[in-house]
Amino acid sequence: MNRASDGIGRDEDIGETHATDALTAFEEALPGGGPRRVGWLRAYGPAVVAFALVIALWEAVTVVFNVQSFLLPRPSLIVERFVATSGVIWLYGWHTLIEALGGLVAGTTLGVLAALATTRWAAVREGLMPFAIAANSVPIIALAPITNAWFSLSSPVSKMAVAAVVVFFPVMINTARGLIEVDPQEVELLASYAASPRQIMRRVRVPHALPYFFSAVKVASALCLIAAIVAEYFGGPDDVLGRYILRQASLLVLPDAWAAILVASIMGIGLYGAVLLVERLAMPWHPSHRAGDVG
Amino acid sequence: MSAPPVVAARSLGKIFAGGAGDAVEALREIDLEIDAGEFVSLIGPSGCGKSTLLRLIADLVAPTSGRLEVNGKDPHRARLDRDYGMVFQRATLLDWRTVARNVELPLEIMDAAGRQDRARHMLDLVQLGEFAGHYPWQLSGGMQQRVAIARALAFRPALLLMDEPFGALDEMTRELMQQELLRIWHETGTTVVFVTHSIPEAVFLSTTVVVMSSRPGRISDVIATGLSHPRNEDTRASQAYYDTITEVRTALRRHDGAAT
Repeated sequence: MNRASDGIGRDEDIGETHATDALTAFEEALPGGGPRRVGWLRAYGPAVVAFALVIALWEAVTVVFNVQSFLLPRPSLIVERFVATSGVIWLYGWHTLIEALGGLVAGTTLGVLAALATTRWAAVREGLMPFAIAANSVPIIALAPITNAWFSLSSPVSKMAVAAVVVFFPVMINTARGLIEVDPQEVELLASYAASPRQIMRRVRVPHALPYFFSAVKVASALCLIAAIVAEYFGGPDDVLGRYILRQASLLVLPDAWAAILVASIMGIGLYGAVLLVERLAMPWHPSHRAGDVG
Repeated sequence: MSAPPVVAARSLGKIFAGGAGDAVEALREIDLEIDAGEFVSLIGPSGCGKSTLLRLIADLVAPTSGRLEVNGKDPHRARLDRDYGMVFQRATLLDWRTVARNVELPLEIMDAAGRQDRARHMLDLVQLGEFAGHYPWQLSGGMQQRVAIARALAFRPALLLMDEPFGALDEMTRELMQQELLRIWHETGTTVVFVTHSIPEAVFLSTTVVVMSSRPGRISDVIATGLSHPRNEDTRASQAYYDTITEVRTALRRHDGAAT
Protein backbone atom coordinates (compact mmCIF):
# COMPACT_ATOMS: atom_id res chain seq x y z
CA MET A 1 0.00 0.00 0.00
CA ASN A 2 3.00 2.27 0.17
CA ARG A 3 2.72 3.44 -3.39
CA ALA A 4 2.36 7.04 -2.31
CA SER A 5 6.03 7.64 -3.03
CA ASP A 6 5.79 6.42 -6.61
CA GLY A 7 5.27 9.99 -7.65
CA ILE A 8 3.02 10.03 -10.67
CA GLY A 9 2.59 13.76 -10.27
CA ARG A 10 5.45 15.37 -12.08
CA ASP A 11 5.53 18.26 -9.67
CA GLU A 12 9.19 19.12 -10.02
CA ASP A 13 9.46 22.58 -8.65
CA ILE A 14 8.92 24.77 -11.64
CA GLY A 15 10.50 27.69 -9.83
CA GLU A 16 13.81 25.88 -9.98
CA THR A 17 14.33 26.59 -13.66
CA HIS A 18 16.20 29.77 -12.84
CA ALA A 19 18.50 30.85 -15.58
CA THR A 20 21.80 30.06 -13.96
CA ASP A 21 23.81 30.18 -17.14
CA ALA A 22 23.85 32.37 -20.17
CA LEU A 23 22.69 29.66 -22.55
CA THR A 24 19.52 29.09 -20.59
CA ALA A 25 19.02 32.82 -20.44
CA PHE A 26 19.52 33.05 -24.16
CA GLU A 27 16.87 30.38 -24.67
CA GLU A 28 14.48 32.05 -22.30
CA ALA A 29 14.91 35.44 -23.89
CA LEU A 30 13.48 34.12 -27.14
CA PRO A 31 9.85 34.88 -28.02
CA GLY A 32 7.52 32.66 -26.07
CA GLY A 33 10.15 32.24 -23.41
CA GLY A 34 7.84 33.22 -20.62
CA PRO A 35 7.52 36.32 -18.56
CA ARG A 36 10.93 36.16 -16.90
CA ARG A 37 12.40 39.50 -17.89
CA VAL A 38 13.52 40.58 -14.44
CA GLY A 39 16.28 37.99 -14.22
CA TRP A 40 17.76 39.14 -17.52
CA LEU A 41 20.63 41.17 -16.16
CA ARG A 42 21.30 38.70 -13.39
CA ALA A 43 21.42 35.88 -15.92
CA TYR A 44 23.50 37.62 -18.56
CA GLY A 45 25.69 39.65 -16.21
CA PRO A 46 28.29 37.00 -15.36
CA ALA A 47 28.71 35.96 -19.01
CA VAL A 48 29.06 39.54 -20.21
CA VAL A 49 31.60 40.32 -17.50
CA ALA A 50 33.57 37.14 -18.22
CA PHE A 51 33.61 37.89 -21.94
CA ALA A 52 34.77 41.47 -21.37
CA LEU A 53 37.49 40.27 -19.00
CA VAL A 54 38.86 37.74 -21.48
CA ILE A 55 38.96 40.32 -24.28
CA ALA A 56 40.61 42.89 -22.01
CA LEU A 57 43.20 40.35 -20.86
CA TRP A 58 43.87 39.33 -24.47
CA GLU A 59 44.35 42.96 -25.46
CA ALA A 60 46.60 43.66 -22.47
CA VAL A 61 48.79 40.60 -23.00
CA THR A 62 49.35 41.30 -26.70
CA VAL A 63 50.23 44.94 -26.00
CA VAL A 64 52.36 44.42 -22.88
CA PHE A 65 54.37 41.49 -24.28
CA ASN A 66 54.38 42.98 -27.77
CA VAL A 67 53.00 39.77 -29.35
CA GLN A 68 53.42 39.78 -33.13
CA SER A 69 50.09 40.05 -34.96
CA PHE A 70 50.80 36.94 -37.07
CA LEU A 71 50.90 34.96 -33.82
CA LEU A 72 47.97 36.55 -32.05
CA PRO A 73 46.53 39.88 -33.17
CA ARG A 74 45.04 42.35 -30.69
CA PRO A 75 41.21 42.16 -30.44
CA SER A 76 41.02 45.84 -31.36
CA LEU A 77 42.99 45.16 -34.54
CA ILE A 78 40.68 42.25 -35.42
CA VAL A 79 37.65 44.49 -35.00
CA GLU A 80 39.35 47.15 -37.10
CA ARG A 81 39.95 44.65 -39.94
CA PHE A 82 36.45 43.20 -39.43
CA VAL A 83 35.02 46.64 -40.20
CA ALA A 84 37.47 47.45 -43.01
CA THR A 85 36.95 44.17 -44.89
CA SER A 86 33.28 43.68 -44.01
CA GLY A 87 32.15 43.94 -47.65
CA VAL A 88 34.28 40.98 -48.69
CA ILE A 89 34.03 38.74 -45.63
CA TRP A 90 30.24 38.97 -45.34
CA LEU A 91 29.84 38.17 -49.03
CA TYR A 92 32.17 35.16 -48.70
CA GLY A 93 30.41 34.25 -45.47
CA TRP A 94 27.10 34.25 -47.32
CA HIS A 95 28.48 31.80 -49.91
CA THR A 96 29.71 29.51 -47.15
CA LEU A 97 26.43 29.81 -45.28
CA ILE A 98 24.53 28.67 -48.39
CA GLU A 99 26.69 25.54 -48.55
CA ALA A 100 26.20 24.86 -44.84
CA LEU A 101 22.45 25.44 -44.99
CA GLY A 102 22.11 23.24 -48.08
CA GLY A 103 23.89 20.47 -46.20
CA LEU A 104 21.83 21.06 -43.05
CA VAL A 105 18.53 20.84 -44.91
CA ALA A 106 19.53 17.83 -47.01
CA GLY A 107 21.13 15.96 -44.09
CA THR A 108 18.22 16.68 -41.74
CA THR A 109 15.62 15.61 -44.30
CA LEU A 110 17.41 12.36 -45.06
CA GLY A 111 18.10 11.77 -41.36
CA VAL A 112 14.43 12.14 -40.46
CA LEU A 113 13.32 9.88 -43.31
CA ALA A 114 15.84 7.24 -42.26
CA ALA A 115 14.67 7.54 -38.64
CA LEU A 116 11.04 7.06 -39.69
CA ALA A 117 12.03 4.00 -41.72
CA THR A 118 13.95 2.47 -38.80
CA THR A 119 10.92 2.92 -36.57
CA ARG A 120 8.47 1.52 -39.07
CA TRP A 121 10.43 -1.59 -40.07
CA ALA A 122 12.38 -3.54 -37.48
CA ALA A 123 14.53 -5.05 -40.25
CA VAL A 124 15.70 -1.59 -41.31
CA ARG A 125 16.41 -0.74 -37.68
CA GLU A 126 18.48 -3.85 -37.06
CA GLY A 127 20.34 -3.48 -40.34
CA LEU A 128 20.95 0.24 -40.27
CA MET A 129 21.27 1.41 -36.67
CA PRO A 130 24.59 -0.30 -35.75
CA PHE A 131 26.05 1.07 -38.95
CA ALA A 132 24.72 4.55 -38.23
CA ILE A 133 26.01 4.55 -34.67
CA ALA A 134 29.43 3.41 -35.88
CA ALA A 135 29.46 6.00 -38.66
CA ASN A 136 28.52 8.69 -36.16
CA SER A 137 31.76 8.16 -34.27
CA VAL A 138 33.94 8.32 -37.40
CA PRO A 139 35.51 11.68 -38.40
CA ILE A 140 33.31 12.07 -41.44
CA ILE A 141 34.91 15.41 -42.25
CA ALA A 142 37.78 13.35 -43.68
CA LEU A 143 35.45 12.61 -46.58
CA ALA A 144 35.81 16.18 -47.84
CA PRO A 145 38.48 15.53 -50.50
CA ILE A 146 36.42 12.60 -51.75
CA THR A 147 33.15 14.49 -52.16
CA ASN A 148 35.19 17.23 -53.82
CA ALA A 149 36.17 14.58 -56.36
CA TRP A 150 32.67 13.10 -56.69
CA PHE A 151 30.93 16.39 -57.30
CA SER A 152 32.55 19.15 -59.26
CA LEU A 153 35.15 20.95 -57.17
CA SER A 154 33.77 24.27 -58.35
CA SER A 155 30.20 23.42 -57.37
CA PRO A 156 28.91 24.24 -53.89
CA VAL A 157 27.21 20.83 -54.01
CA SER A 158 30.50 19.14 -53.12
CA LYS A 159 30.60 21.15 -49.85
CA MET A 160 26.90 20.61 -49.19
CA ALA A 161 27.46 16.87 -49.56
CA VAL A 162 30.06 16.82 -46.77
CA ALA A 163 27.85 18.96 -44.55
CA ALA A 164 24.86 16.72 -45.30
CA VAL A 165 26.72 13.55 -44.35
CA VAL A 166 28.00 15.18 -41.14
CA VAL A 167 24.45 16.29 -40.24
CA PHE A 168 22.73 13.05 -41.25
CA PHE A 169 23.99 10.71 -38.54
CA PRO A 170 23.27 12.66 -35.34
CA VAL A 171 19.85 13.68 -36.68
CA MET A 172 18.98 10.15 -37.68
CA ILE A 173 20.18 8.50 -34.47
CA ASN A 174 18.58 11.01 -32.13
CA THR A 175 15.28 11.17 -33.98
CA ALA A 176 15.08 7.38 -34.18
CA ARG A 177 15.71 7.20 -30.44
CA GLY A 178 12.90 9.69 -29.78
CA LEU A 179 10.52 7.76 -32.02
CA ILE A 180 11.34 4.38 -30.50
CA GLU A 181 11.81 5.13 -26.82
CA VAL A 182 8.26 6.23 -26.09
CA ASP A 183 6.48 5.34 -22.87
CA PRO A 184 5.11 1.82 -23.56
CA GLN A 185 2.01 2.73 -21.58
CA GLU A 186 1.23 5.53 -24.03
CA VAL A 187 1.35 2.99 -26.84
CA GLU A 188 -0.91 0.66 -24.83
CA LEU A 189 -3.32 3.50 -24.22
CA LEU A 190 -3.59 4.08 -27.95
CA ALA A 191 -3.91 0.33 -28.51
CA SER A 192 -6.87 0.33 -26.13
CA TYR A 193 -8.55 2.73 -28.56
CA ALA A 194 -7.72 0.31 -31.41
CA ALA A 195 -5.48 2.97 -32.96
CA SER A 196 -3.57 2.10 -36.15
CA PRO A 197 0.26 2.13 -36.26
CA ARG A 198 0.02 5.33 -38.29
CA GLN A 199 -2.12 7.00 -35.65
CA ILE A 200 0.33 5.90 -32.95
CA MET A 201 3.17 7.29 -35.01
CA ARG A 202 1.49 10.64 -35.51
CA ARG A 203 0.00 11.18 -32.06
CA VAL A 204 2.63 9.61 -29.79
CA ARG A 205 5.94 8.89 -31.50
CA VAL A 206 6.41 12.03 -33.55
CA PRO A 207 5.55 14.52 -30.75
CA HIS A 208 7.75 12.51 -28.38
CA ALA A 209 10.66 12.64 -30.84
CA LEU A 210 10.54 16.41 -31.35
CA PRO A 211 12.81 17.34 -28.40
CA TYR A 212 15.31 14.67 -29.50
CA PHE A 213 15.13 15.95 -33.06
CA PHE A 214 15.73 19.56 -32.05
CA SER A 215 18.67 18.81 -29.80
CA ALA A 216 20.24 16.95 -32.74
CA VAL A 217 19.57 19.85 -35.12
CA LYS A 218 21.16 22.26 -32.63
CA VAL A 219 24.34 20.18 -32.70
CA ALA A 220 24.04 19.82 -36.47
CA SER A 221 23.71 23.59 -36.95
CA ALA A 222 27.28 23.98 -35.69
CA LEU A 223 28.56 20.86 -37.47
CA CYS A 224 27.31 21.93 -40.90
CA LEU A 225 29.29 25.20 -40.78
CA ILE A 226 32.45 23.41 -39.66
CA ALA A 227 31.99 20.86 -42.44
CA ALA A 228 31.47 23.51 -45.11
CA ILE A 229 34.53 25.53 -44.07
CA VAL A 230 36.82 22.52 -43.76
CA ALA A 231 35.61 21.20 -47.12
CA GLU A 232 36.53 24.56 -48.63
CA TYR A 233 40.09 24.15 -47.34
CA PHE A 234 40.47 21.24 -49.77
CA GLY A 235 39.78 23.32 -52.84
CA GLY A 236 37.12 25.05 -54.87
CA PRO A 237 36.16 28.63 -55.75
CA ASP A 238 37.98 31.37 -53.83
CA ASP A 239 34.99 33.52 -52.89
CA VAL A 240 34.17 31.53 -49.76
CA LEU A 241 35.13 31.94 -46.10
CA GLY A 242 37.29 28.82 -45.78
CA ARG A 243 39.53 29.64 -48.72
CA TYR A 244 39.75 33.27 -47.63
CA ILE A 245 40.89 32.25 -44.12
CA LEU A 246 43.41 29.83 -45.64
CA ARG A 247 44.73 32.48 -48.06
CA GLN A 248 45.07 35.26 -45.49
CA ALA A 249 46.73 32.89 -43.03
CA SER A 250 49.26 31.69 -45.58
CA LEU A 251 50.05 35.31 -46.45
CA LEU A 252 50.46 35.95 -42.70
CA VAL A 253 47.67 38.55 -42.79
CA LEU A 254 46.36 37.08 -39.60
CA PRO A 255 44.08 39.91 -38.43
CA ASP A 256 42.08 39.47 -41.66
CA ALA A 257 41.86 35.71 -41.13
CA TRP A 258 40.64 36.35 -37.57
CA ALA A 259 38.04 38.80 -38.87
CA ALA A 260 36.74 36.07 -41.19
CA ILE A 261 36.66 33.59 -38.27
CA LEU A 262 34.60 36.16 -36.38
CA VAL A 263 32.09 36.16 -39.27
CA ALA A 264 31.92 32.35 -39.12
CA SER A 265 31.32 32.52 -35.36
CA ILE A 266 28.52 35.05 -35.72
CA MET A 267 26.88 32.91 -38.39
CA GLY A 268 27.16 29.82 -36.18
CA ILE A 269 25.55 31.54 -33.21
CA GLY A 270 22.85 32.97 -35.49
CA LEU A 271 22.06 29.54 -36.91
CA TYR A 272 21.86 28.04 -33.44
CA GLY A 273 19.54 30.82 -32.34
CA ALA A 274 17.32 30.27 -35.37
CA VAL A 275 16.99 26.57 -34.52
CA LEU A 276 16.13 27.49 -30.91
CA LEU A 277 13.45 29.83 -32.16
CA VAL A 278 11.86 27.18 -34.37
CA GLU A 279 12.06 24.71 -31.48
CA ARG A 280 10.29 27.15 -29.19
CA LEU A 281 7.53 27.71 -31.73
CA ALA A 282 7.16 24.00 -32.51
CA MET A 283 6.98 22.83 -28.89
CA PRO A 284 5.17 25.38 -26.73
CA TRP A 285 4.42 22.61 -24.23
CA HIS A 286 7.98 21.60 -23.53
CA PRO A 287 9.21 21.49 -19.90
CA SER A 288 12.24 23.67 -20.69
CA HIS A 289 9.79 26.48 -21.41
CA ARG A 290 8.11 26.12 -18.07
CA ALA A 291 8.73 29.69 -17.02
CA GLY A 292 5.19 30.29 -15.89
CA ASP A 293 1.55 29.54 -16.30
CA VAL A 294 0.70 28.98 -19.94
CA GLY A 295 -3.00 28.32 -19.40
CA MET B 1 -31.23 -9.99 -16.88
CA SER B 2 -31.11 -11.60 -20.29
CA ALA B 3 -28.17 -9.47 -21.51
CA PRO B 4 -24.86 -11.37 -21.60
CA PRO B 5 -22.45 -10.61 -18.79
CA VAL B 6 -20.02 -7.76 -19.55
CA VAL B 7 -17.11 -10.01 -18.63
CA ALA B 8 -17.28 -13.81 -18.66
CA ALA B 9 -14.21 -15.94 -17.95
CA ARG B 10 -14.15 -19.75 -17.95
CA SER B 11 -11.07 -21.67 -16.77
CA LEU B 12 -8.97 -18.75 -17.92
CA GLY B 13 -5.21 -19.20 -17.63
CA LYS B 14 -2.16 -17.15 -18.49
CA ILE B 15 1.44 -18.35 -18.56
CA PHE B 16 4.20 -15.89 -19.37
CA ALA B 17 7.01 -17.62 -21.23
CA GLY B 18 10.14 -16.43 -19.47
CA GLY B 19 13.64 -16.40 -20.88
CA ALA B 20 15.70 -19.61 -20.50
CA GLY B 21 12.59 -21.72 -20.19
CA ASP B 22 11.34 -20.53 -16.81
CA ALA B 23 7.73 -19.79 -17.54
CA VAL B 24 5.61 -17.97 -14.98
CA GLU B 25 2.06 -19.07 -14.39
CA ALA B 26 0.29 -15.78 -13.71
CA LEU B 27 -3.31 -17.01 -13.67
CA ARG B 28 -4.90 -20.45 -13.32
CA GLU B 29 -8.49 -21.58 -13.73
CA ILE B 30 -10.14 -18.17 -13.44
CA ASP B 31 -13.94 -18.30 -13.48
CA LEU B 32 -15.60 -14.91 -13.26
CA GLU B 33 -18.79 -13.22 -14.39
CA ILE B 34 -19.40 -9.52 -14.18
CA ASP B 35 -22.87 -8.17 -14.97
CA ALA B 36 -23.71 -4.80 -16.45
CA GLY B 37 -23.73 -1.96 -13.94
CA GLU B 38 -21.57 -3.76 -11.39
CA PHE B 39 -18.56 -2.27 -9.68
CA VAL B 40 -16.10 -5.11 -9.17
CA SER B 41 -12.75 -4.80 -7.42
CA LEU B 42 -9.93 -7.29 -7.90
CA ILE B 43 -7.81 -7.42 -4.75
CA GLY B 44 -4.89 -9.56 -3.71
CA PRO B 45 -1.19 -9.59 -2.84
CA SER B 46 1.42 -8.40 -5.33
CA GLY B 47 1.94 -10.97 -8.06
CA CYS B 48 -1.54 -12.49 -7.76
CA GLY B 49 -2.24 -11.66 -11.39
CA LYS B 50 -4.97 -9.08 -10.78
CA SER B 51 -3.44 -6.63 -13.26
CA THR B 52 -2.85 -9.46 -15.71
CA LEU B 53 -6.54 -10.38 -15.50
CA LEU B 54 -7.45 -6.77 -16.27
CA ARG B 55 -5.03 -6.71 -19.20
CA LEU B 56 -6.53 -9.95 -20.54
CA ILE B 57 -9.97 -8.32 -20.48
CA ALA B 58 -8.44 -5.31 -22.28
CA ASP B 59 -6.82 -7.57 -24.90
CA LEU B 60 -3.42 -6.05 -24.10
CA VAL B 61 -2.15 -9.60 -23.47
CA ALA B 62 -3.57 -12.87 -24.82
CA PRO B 63 -4.68 -15.80 -22.61
CA THR B 64 -2.92 -19.16 -22.87
CA SER B 65 -5.94 -21.26 -21.93
CA GLY B 66 -9.65 -21.04 -21.21
CA ARG B 67 -12.34 -18.77 -22.58
CA LEU B 68 -12.92 -15.07 -22.10
CA GLU B 69 -15.70 -12.92 -23.47
CA VAL B 70 -16.20 -9.18 -23.16
CA ASN B 71 -19.68 -7.92 -23.99
CA GLY B 72 -20.38 -11.39 -25.37
CA LYS B 73 -17.46 -11.19 -27.83
CA ASP B 74 -13.86 -12.15 -28.16
CA PRO B 75 -11.77 -9.56 -26.24
CA HIS B 76 -9.92 -8.67 -29.42
CA ARG B 77 -13.21 -7.88 -31.16
CA ALA B 78 -14.30 -5.90 -28.08
CA ARG B 79 -11.14 -3.82 -28.22
CA LEU B 80 -11.58 -3.10 -31.91
CA ASP B 81 -15.20 -2.15 -31.15
CA ARG B 82 -13.95 0.21 -28.43
CA ASP B 83 -16.06 -1.45 -25.80
CA TYR B 84 -13.95 -0.38 -22.83
CA GLY B 85 -12.04 2.60 -21.48
CA MET B 86 -8.80 2.10 -19.57
CA VAL B 87 -7.23 4.02 -16.68
CA PHE B 88 -3.70 3.14 -15.58
CA GLN B 89 -1.93 3.79 -12.30
CA ARG B 90 -0.07 6.63 -13.98
CA ALA B 91 -2.40 9.12 -15.63
CA THR B 92 -0.42 8.73 -18.89
CA LEU B 93 -1.49 12.09 -20.26
CA LEU B 94 0.34 13.26 -23.36
CA ASP B 95 2.59 16.12 -22.25
CA TRP B 96 2.25 18.03 -25.50
CA ARG B 97 -1.52 18.25 -25.38
CA THR B 98 -3.65 20.49 -23.24
CA VAL B 99 -6.05 18.86 -20.80
CA ALA B 100 -8.96 19.29 -23.23
CA ARG B 101 -6.96 17.88 -26.15
CA ASN B 102 -5.97 14.89 -23.99
CA VAL B 103 -9.63 14.14 -23.35
CA GLU B 104 -10.30 14.51 -27.07
CA LEU B 105 -7.57 11.98 -27.94
CA PRO B 106 -9.75 8.83 -28.09
CA LEU B 107 -12.44 10.74 -29.98
CA GLU B 108 -9.83 11.87 -32.50
CA ILE B 109 -8.60 8.31 -32.98
CA MET B 110 -12.19 7.20 -33.51
CA ASP B 111 -12.91 10.16 -35.76
CA ALA B 112 -15.93 11.09 -33.65
CA ALA B 113 -17.91 14.26 -34.26
CA GLY B 114 -18.41 17.04 -31.72
CA ARG B 115 -15.16 16.34 -29.95
CA GLN B 116 -14.75 19.70 -28.25
CA ASP B 117 -18.25 19.71 -26.78
CA ARG B 118 -17.79 16.17 -25.58
CA ALA B 119 -14.43 16.93 -23.98
CA ARG B 120 -15.88 19.97 -22.24
CA HIS B 121 -18.77 17.90 -20.94
CA MET B 122 -16.40 15.22 -19.63
CA LEU B 123 -14.17 17.77 -17.93
CA ASP B 124 -17.23 19.25 -16.25
CA LEU B 125 -18.14 15.74 -15.08
CA VAL B 126 -14.77 15.41 -13.31
CA GLN B 127 -15.00 19.07 -12.20
CA LEU B 128 -11.98 20.26 -14.12
CA GLY B 129 -13.79 22.46 -16.65
CA GLU B 130 -11.69 25.49 -15.86
CA PHE B 131 -8.44 23.62 -16.50
CA ALA B 132 -9.25 22.70 -20.11
CA GLY B 133 -6.46 24.89 -21.50
CA HIS B 134 -3.77 23.81 -19.03
CA TYR B 135 -0.97 21.40 -19.78
CA PRO B 136 -0.75 18.17 -17.75
CA TRP B 137 2.37 19.25 -15.82
CA GLN B 138 0.42 22.17 -14.40
CA LEU B 139 -1.98 19.80 -12.60
CA SER B 140 -1.56 17.83 -9.38
CA GLY B 141 -1.44 14.02 -9.45
CA GLY B 142 -5.10 13.75 -8.43
CA MET B 143 -6.22 16.20 -11.08
CA GLN B 144 -4.22 14.35 -13.73
CA GLN B 145 -5.92 11.12 -12.75
CA ARG B 146 -9.34 12.80 -13.03
CA VAL B 147 -8.40 13.89 -16.55
CA ALA B 148 -7.47 10.25 -17.30
CA ILE B 149 -10.92 9.15 -16.09
CA ALA B 150 -12.63 11.82 -18.21
CA ARG B 151 -10.60 10.63 -21.20
CA ALA B 152 -11.48 6.96 -20.60
CA LEU B 153 -15.19 7.77 -20.46
CA ALA B 154 -15.19 10.33 -23.29
CA PHE B 155 -16.38 7.84 -25.89
CA ARG B 156 -19.05 6.37 -23.58
CA PRO B 157 -17.66 2.83 -23.22
CA ALA B 158 -19.95 0.42 -21.37
CA LEU B 159 -16.97 -0.87 -19.40
CA LEU B 160 -14.31 1.00 -17.45
CA LEU B 161 -11.09 -0.88 -16.60
CA MET B 162 -8.98 0.70 -13.85
CA ASP B 163 -5.54 -0.59 -12.88
CA GLU B 164 -4.71 0.79 -9.41
CA PRO B 165 -5.75 4.26 -10.56
CA PHE B 166 -5.40 5.87 -7.12
CA GLY B 167 -2.35 3.89 -6.01
CA ALA B 168 0.03 6.82 -6.22
CA LEU B 169 -2.22 9.38 -4.55
CA ASP B 170 -2.10 10.53 -0.95
CA GLU B 171 -4.82 9.28 1.39
CA MET B 172 -6.90 12.49 1.39
CA THR B 173 -6.91 12.83 -2.39
CA ARG B 174 -7.59 9.14 -2.67
CA GLU B 175 -10.78 9.31 -0.60
CA LEU B 176 -12.01 12.31 -2.58
CA MET B 177 -11.31 10.47 -5.83
CA GLN B 178 -13.21 7.41 -4.59
CA GLN B 179 -16.22 9.56 -3.82
CA GLU B 180 -15.89 11.20 -7.22
CA LEU B 181 -15.62 7.86 -9.01
CA LEU B 182 -18.77 6.54 -7.32
CA ARG B 183 -20.66 9.67 -8.37
CA ILE B 184 -19.50 9.21 -11.98
CA TRP B 185 -20.38 5.52 -11.84
CA HIS B 186 -23.91 6.45 -10.73
CA GLU B 187 -24.28 9.16 -13.36
CA THR B 188 -22.98 7.11 -16.29
CA GLY B 189 -24.12 3.59 -15.40
CA THR B 190 -20.75 2.24 -16.56
CA THR B 191 -19.61 -1.19 -15.42
CA VAL B 192 -16.30 -0.88 -13.57
CA VAL B 193 -13.51 -3.41 -13.01
CA PHE B 194 -11.10 -1.93 -10.50
CA VAL B 195 -7.71 -3.35 -9.49
CA THR B 196 -6.45 -2.30 -6.07
CA HIS B 197 -4.50 -3.58 -3.12
CA SER B 198 -6.27 -1.40 -0.61
CA ILE B 199 -8.93 -3.32 1.31
CA PRO B 200 -10.91 -0.24 2.46
CA GLU B 201 -10.85 1.13 -1.07
CA ALA B 202 -12.18 -2.11 -2.54
CA VAL B 203 -14.95 -2.36 0.05
CA PHE B 204 -15.99 1.28 -0.14
CA LEU B 205 -16.25 1.32 -3.93
CA SER B 206 -17.49 -2.10 -4.93
CA THR B 207 -20.67 -4.04 -5.26
CA THR B 208 -18.48 -7.14 -5.39
CA VAL B 209 -14.91 -7.73 -4.17
CA VAL B 210 -13.00 -10.51 -5.90
CA VAL B 211 -10.23 -11.79 -3.62
CA MET B 212 -7.24 -13.36 -5.36
CA SER B 213 -4.29 -15.38 -4.09
CA SER B 214 -0.90 -15.74 -5.64
CA ARG B 215 1.44 -18.33 -7.18
CA PRO B 216 -0.41 -19.15 -9.30
CA GLY B 217 -2.96 -16.33 -9.37
CA ARG B 218 -6.47 -17.60 -8.75
CA ILE B 219 -9.75 -16.39 -7.36
CA SER B 220 -10.13 -17.50 -3.77
CA ASP B 221 -13.28 -15.63 -2.68
CA VAL B 222 -16.03 -13.49 -4.13
CA ILE B 223 -17.56 -11.21 -1.52
CA ALA B 224 -20.66 -9.10 -2.11
CA THR B 225 -20.29 -5.94 -0.04
CA GLY B 226 -24.01 -5.33 0.37
CA LEU B 227 -23.44 -1.73 1.49
CA SER B 228 -26.23 0.67 0.58
CA HIS B 229 -25.92 3.48 -1.93
CA PRO B 230 -25.16 6.34 -2.07
CA ARG B 231 -21.98 5.77 -0.15
CA ASN B 232 -20.36 8.64 1.74
CA GLU B 233 -18.54 9.49 4.95
CA ASP B 234 -21.31 7.78 6.93
CA THR B 235 -20.60 4.59 5.02
CA ARG B 236 -16.99 4.76 6.12
CA ALA B 237 -18.12 4.99 9.74
CA SER B 238 -20.72 2.20 9.55
CA GLN B 239 -20.51 -1.20 11.20
CA ALA B 240 -21.35 -2.99 7.94
CA TYR B 241 -18.34 -1.32 6.29
CA TYR B 242 -15.99 -2.52 9.04
CA ASP B 243 -17.49 -5.99 8.99
CA THR B 244 -16.95 -6.29 5.25
CA ILE B 245 -13.38 -5.03 5.57
CA THR B 246 -12.77 -7.70 8.19
CA GLU B 247 -14.33 -10.32 5.94
CA VAL B 248 -12.07 -9.37 3.02
CA ARG B 249 -9.02 -9.18 5.25
CA THR B 250 -9.73 -12.60 6.70
CA ALA B 251 -10.13 -14.04 3.21
CA LEU B 252 -6.80 -12.51 2.12
CA ARG B 253 -5.01 -13.77 5.26
CA ARG B 254 -6.39 -17.26 4.96
CA HIS B 255 -4.95 -17.75 1.51
CA ASP B 256 -1.81 -15.82 2.17
CA GLY B 257 -1.13 -18.10 5.13
CA ALA B 258 -1.83 -21.17 3.01
CA ALA B 259 0.63 -20.02 0.37
CA THR B 260 3.59 -19.51 2.68
